Amino acid sequence: MKADLVELTEQYSTALREYCRGGGEAALLRAYQLGRRAVTGGAGVLEMAGLHQEALVAALLEMLALDESARIAKRASEFFAECLAPFELTRRGFEEAHAAMCDLNEGLERRLSAVLQDFESAQDELLEQKRMEKLKNDFISVISHEVRTPLTSIHGALNLLKSGLGGELNVQGVRLLDAAYRNSQRLVRLVNDLLDLQRIESGTMTFNLRPVDLRSLLEQSIEAGQPHAGQLETQLVLQRAPAGVRVRVDSDRMMQVMTNLLSNAAKFSPRGETVVVEAVRLDSRVRVQVTDSGPGVPAEFRARIFQKFAQAAPSSDRGGSGLGLSITKAIVEHMSGHVGFESEPGRTTFYFDLPEWRPRAAARQKAAGDTWSADH
Amino acid sequence: MVRRSLKRILLVEDDPDIQTVTSMALGSFGGYTVHVCGSAREALDSAASFKPDLILLDVMMPGMDGLDTLKALREIPATATTPVIFLTARVQPADVALYNELDSLAVIRKPFEPTALVETIHGLWARYRDQAD
Repeated sequence: MKADLVELTEQYSTALREYCRGGGEAALLRAYQLGRRAVTGGAGVLEMAGLHQEALVAALLEMLALDESARIAKRASEFFAECLAPFELTRRGFEEAHAAMCDLNEGLERRLSAVLQDFESAQDELLEQKRMEKLKNDFISVISHEVRTPLTSIHGALNLLKSGLGGELNVQGVRLLDAAYRNSQRLVRLVNDLLDLQRIESGTMTFNLRPVDLRSLLEQSIEAGQPHAGQLETQLVLQRAPAGVRVRVDSDRMMQVMTNLLSNAAKFSPRGETVVVEAVRLDSRVRVQVTDSGPGVPAEFRARIFQKFAQAAPSSDRGGSGLGLSITKAIVEHMSGHVGFESEPGRTTFYFDLPEWRPRAAARQKAAGDTWSADH
Repeated sequence: MVRRSLKRILLVEDDPDIQTVTSMALGSFGGYTVHVCGSAREALDSAASFKPDLILLDVMMPGMDGLDTLKALREIPATATTPVIFLTARVQPADVALYNELDSLAVIRKPFEPTALVETIHGLWARYRDQAD
């Protein structure tokens, strides 16, 4: 027990004895106040009962001077103190439980504070991401309008001049016009690729998926790509494609994928060479591959070839935006496909695999034989 | 029921260079009669007298933009049902969604190939006529 408390309990004990001896309201009040201070200072119920007992016994002894009465009084007060014991134990139990609750609360507060801190930093991160997203969208919006508007006039005027609307040009004029037109086409591709990329990343690119005949789609893409390949003095050839194979794709997006692959292959192909397109069945899938006889993909570039703005040689004059292959990959994957490539000097093949589409009836017939489903 | 052929096109475009390129392509390759307006106000003023079969409408214009112009054109009897094609550089996904909600026939994205523009419009007109029939 602390020294202060010992002193208090002694004072209380004395005050009690004085009251028992002499009585009176002042003595009772003093004892009461000291008792309260002792309880507040930490004196337990049993200790207080002990003090009461001693004071009572002392007072009785003084007043009655009879051993027998004193003994009875002492027993009575002991009995009284004993009755209080369970309350004291309960109080101590409450104290212990209170201390445990306080510890638990502190632990919870610490955890809550850590969680709140994590939440705040996640919120900050999210806000920062949103800010960056907005910046990016604003930038693309500026590109979209501020670049597209003048480009419409430039590209349009060059296109009309090339159509002969301005009259015949001499050889030098034609070469200059071709150079200007080619480069304006390159800018148009870049702004369109940027827009496609934004659509893909924001999930707003729409895909109208329908079963289409793969062979005729490849033939169309080759026909559409032939003029561009011709300018580069290469030829596009569909070497083989099984008849009757259908894939469930968006035809326009598939044309976009093929245009990208064919244009890349033609670009890297040596003059006079042929770019070969093939389609082959691989179990439930079909692989479309485009092979050129160009120099091959540099080893150090292979890992990031499908990344945005990836170009093996940024200073090269081959004229890509560095977005074509990343867009191709995203489109193919959106149609449940997979893209890849194999490359060595003199032979590079880019390919994509798509699930072959088969009508439900055929799938059901097949399902009767095994559990495999062809309807993807 | 729409039986008439496409002859008269109202081009609403504030950029003078795009006006030149577009009207030249439409006139030279399509043989259309093209009336060029540099603002929404001009278009609204001349719509009743020109009586276009088709309207090509830019979106980003000073003053009234293309979207409000379309709403105002619908209030004029001569252009209340005239098909409108947006010719615009604003082709962000959210923009296109908005054009589709409006009563427009199609959206042609800038930059475009003027030599292919006539063919595109021809195809859209045929589709419009089939649907109207």
